[in-house]
Amino acid sequence: MSTDTAPEVARPSEAPRQPDGSSRVRRELVRFMPLIILAVLLVLLSLRNPDLLTQRSLTTMADSAAPLMVLAVGITVVILCGGIDLSIGALASFASVLTALWVPSMSGAVVVPVVLVCALAGVVQGWIHIAARVPSFIVTLGGMSLWTGLALAFSGASTVAVTDIAALRWAFTRIGGTVPSALVIALGVVVVLGAVMRFTPFGRWVASVGHAEPAARLAGLPVSMVKIAAFGVSGACAGLAGVLLVARTFSGAPTLGESLLLPAVAAVIVGGTAITGGHGGLFRTVVGALIVVLLRTGLSLIGVDAGFEPIFYGVLIIIAVSVTIDRSKVAVLK
Amino acid sequence: MSSPDTAQPRAADAAGPAPPLGPGPAASGGRLVWRPRGTDAVQTTASLAALVLMILVFSVLDAQFRSWDNVVAVVDAAAVLAVVTVGLTFVLLLGAIDLSVEGVIGACALTVALLVANSRTGLDLGVLGVAATVALGAAFGLLSGVLSTRLRIPSFLTTLGVYAIGLGVATILFSGERPIVEDPWLGDWASSRFLGFTIVSWVAAGAILVGWLIQRYTRVGRYAYAIGGAEDIARLSGVPVARYKTAAFAVAGAFYGLGAVMATSQLGSGVVQAGSGLNFSAIAAAVIGGTLLVGGRGGVLQSMIGVLVLTVLQNGLILAGVSPYAQQAVQGVIVVVAVAAATWPVRHRLGVVK
Repeated sequence: MSTDTAPEVARPSEAPRQPDGSSRVRRELVRFMPLIILAVLLVLLSLRNPDLLTQRSLTTMADSAAPLMVLAVGITVVILCGGIDLSIGALASFASVLTALWVPSMSGAVVVPVVLVCALAGVVQGWIHIAARVPSFIVTLGGMSLWTGLALAFSGASTVAVTDIAALRWAFTRIGGTVPSALVIALGVVVVLGAVMRFTPFGRWVASVGHAEPAARLAGLPVSMVKIAAFGVSGACAGLAGVLLVARTFSGAPTLGESLLLPAVAAVIVGGTAITGGHGGLFRTVVGALIVVLLRTGLSLIGVDAGFEPIFYGVLIIIAVSVTIDRSKVAVLK
Repeated sequence: MSSPDTAQPRAADAAGPAPPLGPGPAASGGRLVWRPRGTDAVQTTASLAALVLMILVFSVLDAQFRSWDNVVAVVDAAAVLAVVTVGLTFVLLLGAIDLSVEGVIGACALTVALLVANSRTGLDLGVLGVAATVALGAAFGLLSGVLSTRLRIPSFLTTLGVYAIGLGVATILFSGERPIVEDPWLGDWASSRFLGFTIVSWVAAGAILVGWLIQRYTRVGRYAYAIGGAEDIARLSGVPVARYKTAAFAVAGAFYGLGAVMATSQLGSGVVQAGSGLNFSAIAAAVIGGTLLVGGRGGVLQSMIGVLVLTVLQNGLILAGVSPYAQQAVQGVIVVVAVAAATWPVRHRLGVVK
C-alpha cells in the first residue's frame, strides 16, 4: 500500500507526495470504506424492511448477484492492469445467444465452448490493443459493436428460447435446497482466480503493470502477455456470465447482458479498485458487487422509480472514481 | 483547411517535449504546400478516396443506388448522425472522448416530445421547447465538462456516468407512456421538403455551418485545437484549459440536443432509445474522417467526410441486401482499424497506452 507513489516517473508539476499522517488516514479510510458502506447499507435496509433478511429474499438477491459478480471479477483484472473492457456486456449477450443455440447439440457441456470462444474474443481484443497500441477502451468499444452485431445476426435479432431446461439446471438450482448454485459458481470463480493471483506470479505481474508499466517492462516482466491474458480472463468471465444468464432466464438474447456493463464497472470501482490500475483486488470487487446489488434491491424496496437506477450507477461511478483515482498517475487528463 | 488553426500549437509542439503525433522535424518548415501533413491529413485523403471509390462501385453495381431519390435518401439518413458528430468532434479535438451521447439524446428526445404539443402534457411551446431542449443538451455537456475538469477524472468515465444519468432521466420522463408529438411544425421537419431535401437535412446543414464557424472563429474552437495538441503547453501559455474544455463539452451537448430534436421529429414520438447506436457511429465517423482520438487533429468538415462514408456504405450494403446487424459488427471492426491505422506509423513512440 505504501509503495503506490514510489515507482512513479516524477512529474515536475506535481509536488512529490509523502504518505504523511492525514493522507494515510484517508487511504486507510478509503480502503475499508466499501466494507463499512456494505455494513451500514445492510443494517439500514433491514431496519427499514425486515423482509430483506428472509431466506427467500436473500436467495433472489444472490441469483441476481451471481452473473454481475462474475462479470465484475473479470473486468477487475483488466482494470488492475490499468485498462478497461467496455465489451463485457455485449460479450455476455453474445455468449447467451451462443449458449441458447448450442444447448440442443451439446446439452450441459455447452459452457466449455462458450467460455473458450469468449476468452478467445478477449484475447483478440487484448492482442489488438497491444499490437496496434490502440487504447483499450476504443478496442473494446469496437468489440461492443462487433459482439452485439454478431449476437443480433446469429439470433436473427430475437430471443432464442432454451427448451432443454434440464441441460442448464446445474447453474440455476438450490444446493441442499437453500444455497443458490449460481452464487457457488460465482464464488468459485473468485476463489480460483484469487488463488491464481495470490499463488502464481500472475497477480504480482498484473499489479506491477498497473502500478508502473514502464518499470515493469524494464524489470523484464512479460507486460504484453500479462495484459493480453487479463483481457482473456475478462472475456472468459463474460462468457460464463452469459451462461448463468441463460440458465436463469431459459433463453439467450442479443441484448441480455447490455445492462450489466454499468453495474459491473460500478461494482469494481465502488469496491475500491482504482481505475488507474495497480490498486485493488478481487475480494474488493465482491464487496462492490454486493453493495450494488443491495442498493438495487434497497431502491426497489423503498419504492423508488426504476428510472433512478441508471442515474444511481452513474453518480456512484463518478463519486467512487473521484475518491479512488490515483491522480499522480495521470499527467494530462483526457 | 485546418492549417491556420493548427499553426500555433504545432509551433509550440516543436519546442515542447515529444509531440504526440507531430510531423518530423524536417517537415516543420511548412514550405511543401501539397504534402499531407500528419496522419490526420492522410486519413482524410484516404477517406475521400474511399468515399469516391464506394460511390463508383455501388453506382456501377446498382441502378437504384445512382438514382436521385437515393441521393436524397442518403442525405436524409445522414442528417442526425452529422449533427451529433459535429458535437462530438469538439470533444475529440480536446483529446477527450464522450460516451454520453445516447443518454443525453434519450433525455433530450423525451424533453422535446413533452415540451411541444403532444399526447401527454398540455404544453405547446414549439420553438421555445426546441430551444429549451438544446439548452438541456448543453447542460448535460456542461455537467460532463465540469466533472471531468474539476474532479480530474478521465472523460470516458465521467461521460459513462452522464450517459447513465441521461438514460435514467429519459426513463423517468417516459414513465411508461410514449409521448406522441402532435406539433405540426416539428412534424414538418421530417415530412415536408424544401428543394427536394427534408427540413431535417437543412437543419443539419445549418448546424454543420454553425459548428464550423465555432471551430474556426471562436475561442472554444481554437483553444480546443491547442488543448488537444498539447494540453500542458496550452496551460503554460496561459490558456484557461479547464474553462475551455468545459465549454467544448457544453457545445457538444447542445449539438446532441439538436440531434435529439431531429430524431424525435423523424420518429414522431419521444423514445428513450432515440440515440441508440449513434454514439459509436459518431466516433467512427469522426475517426474515419480524420478527427483523431489523440486530439488536436481534424475538425468538423473532416468528420463530415466520415459521416458520408458511413452513410453511403450503409446505404449501399442495404441495397445489396446485407443484414444491418452484420453492418453493426463491421462498423466495430472499421473503427478499431481506422484508429489503429491513424497511429500505426508512430505506434512505437506512443509510450504507455492504457
